[in-house]
Amino acid sequence: MGSYRIQRSVARAATTAGPGSGLLARFALVALAAALSLASTAWAGPREQAKRMHDRIAGVPPSAAVLDQMAADIAAGRPLDAANRALESSAFYNVTLKNFVAPWTNREQSVFVPLNDYTATVIGMVRDDVPFNGVLSEDILYVGEGVAGVPAYSPANNDHYEQLEQRGADLRTVLQRRSQSALSGIPAAATAGVVTTRAAAQAFFIAGTNRAMFRFTLMNHMCRDLEQVMDTTLPTDRVRQDVSRSPGGDSRVFLNNCVGCHTGMDPLAQAYAYYHYDETQARLVYTPGQVQTKYFNNADTFRPGFVTPDDAWENRWRSGNNRILGWDASLPGRGNGAKSMGQELANSDAFAQCQVEKVFRAVCFRAPSNAADRARVQTIKGQFRASNYSLKRVFAETAAYCMGE
Amino acid sequence: MIMYVSIGKIVFMARSAIAIAALAILAACSSGGAPTTEQPVTVAPPVADYTGPAPANADVQAFKLNVWENLKASNRCGACHNATGQSPRFARNDDVNLAYQEAIALVNLTQPDQSRLVTKVAGGHNCWLSANSACGDTMTVWIRNWAGATASGGKTIQLRAPVVRDVGASKTFPADSALFASTVHPLLRQYCARCHASNAGTPQGPFFADADADAAYAAARSKINLDNPSQSRLVVRLRDEFHNCWSDCGSNANTMQAALTAFANAIPLTQVDPSLVISKALTLYDGTVAAGGNRFENSQIALWEFKTGMGTVAFDTSGIEPAVNLNFTGDVSWLGGWGIKIGAGGKAQASTSASARLASTIRSTGEFSIEAWIAPANVVQEDAYIVSYSGGTMTRNATLAQREYQYQAMVRSNRTDSNGDPAMLTNAADEDAQATLQHVVLTYDPVNGRRLYVNGVYTGDVDARGGGSLSDWDDSFALVLGNETSGNRQWQGIMRLVAIHSRALTATQVRQNFDAGVGERYFMLFNVSELVDVPQAYLMFEASQYDSYSYLFTKPTFISLDPNARPDNIPIAGIRIGLNGSEARVGQSFIPLDRTVTASNYTAIDGMRLSDGGAVIGLEKGPADDLFFLSFERIGTRTHTRSEGPVTPPAPPTDPTEIPSDIGMRTFEEINATMSQMTTVPMTHPDVRATYELVKQAMPTRETIEGFVASQQTGVAQLAIEYCNALVEDGALRSAYFPGFNFNAPAATAFGSAAARDLAFNPLLDRVLGVNVASQPDRAQARAELDNLAARLTSCGAGCNAARTATVVKASCAALVGSAVTLLQ
Repeated sequence: MGSYRIQRSVARAATTAGPGSGLLARFALVALAAALSLASTAWAGPREQAKRMHDRIAGVPPSAAVLDQMAADIAAGRPLDAANRALESSAFYNVTLKNFVAPWTNREQSVFVPLNDYTATVIGMVRDDVPFNGVLSEDILYVGEGVAGVPAYSPANNDHYEQLEQRGADLRTVLQRRSQSALSGIPAAATAGVVTTRAAAQAFFIAGTNRAMFRFTLMNHMCRDLEQVMDTTLPTDRVRQDVSRSPGGDSRVFLNNCVGCHTGMDPLAQAYAYYHYDETQARLVYTPGQVQTKYFNNADTFRPGFVTPDDAWENRWRSGNNRILGWDASLPGRGNGAKSMGQELANSDAFAQCQVEKVFRAVCFRAPSNAADRARVQTIKGQFRASNYSLKRVFAETAAYCMGE
Repeated sequence: MIMYVSIGKIVFMARSAIAIAALAILAACSSGGAPTTEQPVTVAPPVADYTGPAPANADVQAFKLNVWENLKASNRCGACHNATGQSPRFARNDDVNLAYQEAIALVNLTQPDQSRLVTKVAGGHNCWLSANSACGDTMTVWIRNWAGATASGGKTIQLRAPVVRDVGASKTFPADSALFASTVHPLLRQYCARCHASNAGTPQGPFFADADADAAYAAARSKINLDNPSQSRLVVRLRDEFHNCWSDCGSNANTMQAALTAFANAIPLTQVDPSLVISKALTLYDGTVAAGGNRFENSQIALWEFKTGMGTVAFDTSGIEPAVNLNFTGDVSWLGGWGIKIGAGGKAQASTSASARLASTIRSTGEFSIEAWIAPANVVQEDAYIVSYSGGTMTRNATLAQREYQYQAMVRSNRTDSNGDPAMLTNAADEDAQATLQHVVLTYDPVNGRRLYVNGVYTGDVDARGGGSLSDWDDSFALVLGNETSGNRQWQGIMRLVAIHSRALTATQVRQNFDAGVGERYFMLFNVSELVDVPQAYLMFEASQYDSYSYLFTKPTFISLDPNARPDNIPIAGIRIGLNGSEARVGQSFIPLDRTVTASNYTAIDGMRLSDGGAVIGLEKGPADDLFFLSFERIGTRTHTRSEGPVTPPAPPTDPTEIPSDIGMRTFEEINATMSQMTTVPMTHPDVRATYELVKQAMPTRETIEGFVASQQTGVAQLAIEYCNALVEDGALRSAYFPGFNFNAPAATAFGSAAARDLAFNPLLDRVLGVNVASQPDRAQARAELDNLAARLTSCGAGCNAARTATVVKASCAALVGSAVTLLQ
């Protein structure tokens, strides 16, 4: 059915293409049809499995030599070794990972954004097997080294990364780990992994109330939007003044909807109270001890609401039904600033599950769809944690699972 | 003298009108028509001349001016309580000093609203208006004016101990979900599971329709009212809000209500959880009235507080005659906790005769203020007139309006035209107007002209025309709220108070009125004496009906009404507000509260405030019936320990009926990298990069093959052609790629034999298809296609031009590289 639709679509394309391309398009159609008719039949030898595994991990077909090696690994019952060979491909970093991360770095969740420090840092962390649960809290940043003509990193523009991309720099080799605080000028204690990168700040600390940073972090790293963590039973004392308790004169809207997200979100997003993206300077600004004025926007909307005094956050979702997110019992569930809040999120079960599910969708081209898939995700999640949060391991394990039989 | 004559005319006209009205009523009675209803008096009362002794002192003079002259008329108290009538004769017209002596015993000058004169008329004793509360409020103003109390001086509120009541019984949710699963859950599963389930396509919390009954029950509890199933959120959402009804909303709501009723009826009435540590109970109206203090009202010439709650008239209770009462037309409804809601087609308008005094007063002062507590229904309405004193869309004295996120002011002066134009708008970027309760004030003075204040703060917008004279104000216009007099400038939203002042309020005065708040507020005193062993000990909240659907509780304060009490070292933690026998499930703000009352922080007058926060608690039965109480996790030596039950895991998701394809497409950058690898042309090649930038957004962005569209193949083909062109045009690259192939040979020769074609096609097939991979297209089949292609392209024979050989290689390359071999993975 699927192949029929594609053939028909390509036929349409062939007939609508210009006269110069008509011949080529017709040939492409034939080749495509042939490929589809062949691909619809199952092949599952080691070479085919190796080819698929490499395609899924690196996005490009393997070279003949790599294919031979991977096929041999698979034939010998070592599919993880085969996957690790594919993970050595530059395309895994330059293509697969870059496009895996790019949508996390902007509000539109577009993949068509230039390389930036957020994306580069995730790529570097995966390459170096930096424990991925530090992605929201480490004092870490990856920059390119040894590429001629590329300007140095600047906290006030994205030129460094755009030039790396323009010049086709191989991210597998040029990225070097650096201290984010040393480069951006904010205190080490105020760094929070990708949250305090310039790209994230530009996208999510700009204007508004800083709740966007929390929401998108939740979506990108916990795989949940706010509607999925709504809990109307929690206390409302930390809901800020700018949230109308009677939108349009109807408090039922607040009590049945708004409250469900704000009771949990507002005390967590308080961790970002000292951060702001300054559009004039085009950079992240951190004001220790001084709450950003955006936290007092529309303070008269509900004056008995919460007035933010500092950056003390509290995870109210450790009570109620969001206990199901699996918070780390060894952490206190409260603290000051974005770093400790990032640790709170990234050490939860939901964070680990989310990373595995994201990789599963990227490699297997589907969400976990049956009991076997779900059981495998649980297994891989355990391996992710046991391997000190190696995301590379997750890619390898998942590719081995989805290489075909 | 002139004033006397004009009053005489009014008296004559009023009497004539009364006579005509009396005849009309008689006629109506005799003809057996519809029953008549009392209409409010909208003209000044008939006043008899006073010829008695002069006031004996300043206080009598104040009484005379502020109270007596308003009461002695023959259609008010003076009809009975006159010199020869019923005692007390405080409205006697023969001697104001004697009237004063009678009246002094009937008033409380410290707390005017507690005066006997007020409580009598507010209780319905010969109120001259159609609403008793309006008479009470007006009488209060007169007495307050007599007392000389200014708003800035404030008034002292005397807390009153409420009647001690115990918390009543109610229904509570059973711990087990079985009953829910057999009554309500099937219905929810049938009609709500497409969204409100964790495994829905687009899951939308709360998941009360989850496949797992325990999970659904946990989510549904806050949406069910066991005491009154018809008020359950699950029913209201269908019946009143038409939320995704499955057929007819009314019958759907009935079906849902029947299921909930069956559920509720099977639950026995239970007493309040005896393990809770709870206070005594009271209703909102058992509290001490806290409203009305501290407003700046010295120059107030009209005031509407919308207290009446019934009928179609909003009374002006400023105490100034004639009252500018507003008549409702169209969609205007009363709100709980004082206020009106104006919907489409609605307006509240005064008569032009009553409105006329506004123009005459403001003409004489040359300045004014319009003050309003409003909640716009939305921020998309424009040309929406909130308060207007005008004669139509083209002529006005003054108008306060909303234009999306902006407030707008039009005032007629010698600096503007007769329509008050050009209008002044607040800065659009400030988004001053919001769809929530706001205090908005328009002031006008001869120096600054128009100024707008929102929530007590000057917006900073400057009147470009500056101040001017208001002497041209027209007294034939009508005051109207929520619209233009012509009815085509609709504003929709909520009004909780509107006032007009004859002076431009200063920034301090505006702030004072904002700080005074609005609406019906009470000090609710929850008796906790038994819990803390302190005489007359209360936990006091400032409470109000927040809107028609909730209450607001703020500023919890520990206080004893015993002035000698010295409470000390009393820990208070985990306060929950309960109503009707159970704790409110949503909106609790004081659970995390943990304070200790100490002697050093406690004063007999103010007690000790425990928090500045507020809690919005849903209304259940209404302010007269909802019986509130407090529960504590700790108070004094008493504690109640709570523990959370086990978390409810979500139900396992339902497997899709169709297994998704495990074949996918390469995405745009993967295609680019793949082609680069297949052709050995670097991705940074300028021509390739230019084409890639052009077509990348036309190529697939997701792997799912179901998302393929024809335009994507067009993009792939273009990029393939560019790569192959770059490969063949680059001498070094093509030599390395096609070793032994002679690009300079004529096409007929270069492709003349199978061996010759091997040199061109084998490198392509090796790199594109790979070697010995069975899942790739059949190599022989692909080769045959390439041979056919070459044959057709070289059919020109000797007539082929010199570039044809390279062109055929490019075409063969592009046909392979741009095929599904690249696109699919």
